[in-house]
Amino acid sequence: MTAMTANNSKLPEKRVHPLSLRLYGFLLLAYPLSFRREYAPHMAQVFRDCYRAEKINRGLPGVCRLILRTLLDLARTAPKEHLENLGKDNSVMNTLRKDALALIGCLGIIVVAFFLLSYGRKHEVPSILIFGYALDALVTAGIVGNLIVFVLVKTTRLNPLRTALWVLLIVNGVLLLATAIISSRVDPHFKLGSVMTGYVVSFLFWFALHWIWSKSGRQFAVSNEDLS
Amino acid sequence: MAKRKSDPELFLPLTPAMFHILLALADRERHGYHIMQEVDERTEGKVRLGPGTLYGSIKRMLADGMIEETDERPDPDMDDERRRYYRLTDFGYRVARAEAERLAGLVKTARSKKLLSKA
Repeated sequence: MTAMTANNSKLPEKRVHPLSLRLYGFLLLAYPLSFRREYAPHMAQVFRDCYRAEKINRGLPGVCRLILRTLLDLARTAPKEHLENLGKDNSVMNTLRKDALALIGCLGIIVVAFFLLSYGRKHEVPSILIFGYALDALVTAGIVGNLIVFVLVKTTRLNPLRTALWVLLIVNGVLLLATAIISSRVDPHFKLGSVMTGYVVSFLFWFALHWIWSKSGRQFAVSNEDLS
Repeated sequence: MAKRKSDPELFLPLTPAMFHILLALADRERHGYHIMQEVDERTEGKVRLGPGTLYGSIKRMLADGMIEETDERPDPDMDDERRRYYRLTDFGYRVARAEAERLAGLVKTARSKKLLSKA
């Protein structure tokens, strides 16, 4: 009869070495949260039962072998559980992929606006110059505003859409004020109305993008729930 | 609810841990530690499932519909209510049988190649 079968799982709890159990409880943190929530208490219970059996039947050498076996088991299975988790829809990888997509999209819009603006100024294309102020605002407010929104959404638990609304409103407002103060002193042909229109367009454009993004994100989550 | 595939062949070959768990549950429902004990006893200590292997396999087998949790307790007076008992489903039985047949086929081949003596 082997060590494990020679015992009773109903042995008194006080015989269990608390340090080993605490250590195992700590090591269970190596598993993904969802897995821990479901199985950590049962894994700890199994370890406790095995510990008792080894201590009674084989003494310290048996306990040492059990700890070694359990550590090897943990080293083998914890990465496996994490890898499985990475494949799930709400995983870190998918969040990163979504963030990267949003970032590339914003950069693409800013680059296109910048080139359009440069081309219009260099070749004096009137139809493009008409949008000059809006493009200026779009590029400046896009870079500053989206960067702040991105950092805030990632580091706080604020509502992303509400954060985007207020940040874009403040950034566009501050930039408009700064442009109005500086340009009115430097440029004699400065037109406050055109600059104001540019920043209003910029605010509406970027906020609309955030709104569409948040709506598509919700639809994405719903469709994933349907699939599971 | 767990999605079940109707064809047991889709799950073959099973990992050794999964097959041992199915074998342990073939005759009765057991909790995690009992499964470990049964495997240890049956293999004379040659196979010992660690907690991570055991519950990782249980998680996957529950998701695949091979096993299910049960509220029935063989001996409620002697047992801890916090323990979870598992039992084989009909589908799990079919998968275990398909895996046993696959292994039997391999053993037959090994015998024909004189790698094993006739039983």
